[in-house]
Amino acid sequence: MKTVIQRILNLLAFLLTVGRPVSADEIRHTVAGYGQDSDETFRRMFERDKDLLRSLGVPLSMAATDHWEVEFGYVVPPESYRLDDPGLTDDELAALGLAAHAVRVGSAAPGPGALFKLGGAPAQVAGEPLAADLGAGAEAISSIFAAVQEHRLLTFDYRDKKRRIHPYGLVHRRGHWYVLGPERGATEVRAYRLDRATMVDVGSEPHTFERPKGFKVATALSDVPWDAGSDDLEATVVFDPEGAWWAERQLTSAAIIKPIGEDGSIEVTLPVANSDAFIGWLIGFDEHAEVTGPPELRAQMLARVRGAE
Amino acid sequence: MTSNRTAARLTRILSMLPWVIANPGVSVDDVAERFGYSAKELTEDLNLVFICGLPGYGPGDLMEAYIDEDEVIVDMADYFSSSPRLTPAEALTLLASGMALLSAGLASEALERGVAKLQRALLPDGDDSLVVDLPNEPDLVPLLRGAVEAGQTVSIEYSGLASGVTTERIIEPWSVFSALGNWYVRGHCRLAEGERVFRVDRIREAGLNSELFTKPAGSPEPVIDYSPGVDDVHAVIRLAPEARWVAEYYPVDLVEDGPQGLTVRFSASAPLVAARLLVRLGPSAELVEGDEVATAAADLRARIMTRYVSSAD
Repeated sequence: MKTVIQRILNLLAFLLTVGRPVSADEIRHTVAGYGQDSDETFRRMFERDKDLLRSLGVPLSMAATDHWEVEFGYVVPPESYRLDDPGLTDDELAALGLAAHAVRVGSAAPGPGALFKLGGAPAQVAGEPLAADLGAGAEAISSIFAAVQEHRLLTFDYRDKKRRIHPYGLVHRRGHWYVLGPERGATEVRAYRLDRATMVDVGSEPHTFERPKGFKVATALSDVPWDAGSDDLEATVVFDPEGAWWAERQLTSAAIIKPIGEDGSIEVTLPVANSDAFIGWLIGFDEHAEVTGPPELRAQMLARVRGAE
Repeated sequence: MTSNRTAARLTRILSMLPWVIANPGVSVDDVAERFGYSAKELTEDLNLVFICGLPGYGPGDLMEAYIDEDEVIVDMADYFSSSPRLTPAEALTLLASGMALLSAGLASEALERGVAKLQRALLPDGDDSLVVDLPNEPDLVPLLRGAVEAGQTVSIEYSGLASGVTTERIIEPWSVFSALGNWYVRGHCRLAEGERVFRVDRIREAGLNSELFTKPAGSPEPVIDYSPGVDDVHAVIRLAPEARWVAEYYPVDLVEDGPQGLTVRFSASAPLVAARLLVRLGPSAELVEGDEVATAAADLRARIMTRYVSSAD
């Protein structure tokens, strides 16, 4: 491991100071740690070193070494290598370190690398190791996060259709990750649940779109699943005592709750934009919920329960 | 693989050097504490840095890195005066962790400031392009948290989501946490005589008891991902295209992906769980195999229908 670290430090020092793109051949003959090996050994070693540098967050890219673009070489522009230092104080670093311990993104525990880069974490306090789990692996979500940060086109398969979207934002809500944005060439912003997206690909071009001023990701995604749709219904549902407590814990302030009878039953009136999602939610109450209006929603519920639609 | 360890060690070196350069005169203890070094590891890394530098690799080309008395000295290393920027995974993990605690109302003032600074540095569109909301904390969470800290037993009335059955139990709570959009309490259940995880929002009533308990040492962290158990019921379900999402959402085994749709084997802890899904999917799903689930679905349909019919009279 020592020789690898030594070689990488030499390579990075060279690339950060040389000020021009350098070819693999020049690197081989200039940087200490390469050189004595066969062509094949060098090629494999250099490939691994490049991957290692990139995994550290080093922006290693290719550029022409001459005006005629005959030969290409490697560059690490110092200004894009450098951390954009947010200037965190020690108590802020310690608080972030504690948060990283308490919250888990995906199954792997995060390494301390991020905190080290920001200046290390003084006085590490041990906290509850798992206070919250945001599901989904950080690696899977982070490429999408990079697309949001850098305004890159995002392509994926979703419900059997290929989507090309301009990702405006990334949201974790109700236990799932969503990416929000319009399809390329369209304006309507839609939300896509990431665990239902496959074949995710991030475009190679940064800055391919402008996010409209004043767009709010936080409010573009609703709090309850039956808010996302184009239906325009006002539903009335009666919950018996076995269902009432559970309904009240899930409803938002858009619902009007009225106690009926002596036994603890309630009648709830609420707006529904997606009747299918709403019926799906109601079926989770078994026989403890009953749609009383409007008639078309009641009919839809009954047809669903009978299994004859 | 050793490459992960190599990467971790390099990240630490490339972060430690800029900090020492920016804070001349720092002690071995300062550096060790801040970057999680033992004194031996720090010496080893400084010795490595000492023999690296720029082509030529003579005395004027190599970096200087050593310990003098108790002071860490780094010189001739201006090109490493800044840490590398965060990778997308590092940036996302740190920001999302901080934002999750903020949304749960668990944040200190220092965390609020730290998250705000990170957002400014990492999110070009302002703090709005990443949103992390933990589910709202149910009212019982503070009580349960208090019981975990004090080691107090709790009496609960619990309505199981899968069974629909309500039971009264005494639990010895070990931890309270949020996962996959819900809050859970994990601990020993005296009714079940074993370790159980309960969804906090399905606890209808809870009361603190004066009786104390001792938490067993070294208990494993909870895993909330559904893992099939021996008592599971199984059903083979054919999904129409509009219901294909079920295959992504629930733990299923693929049986066949053919012209009539996707056929999956669905496992659940109770027949009612699969029955609810089947009723909910309506015409977009067809039960191919699974008698228990068929019975449970028929029973569920009948129970709901009874309610509608009696109210129409």
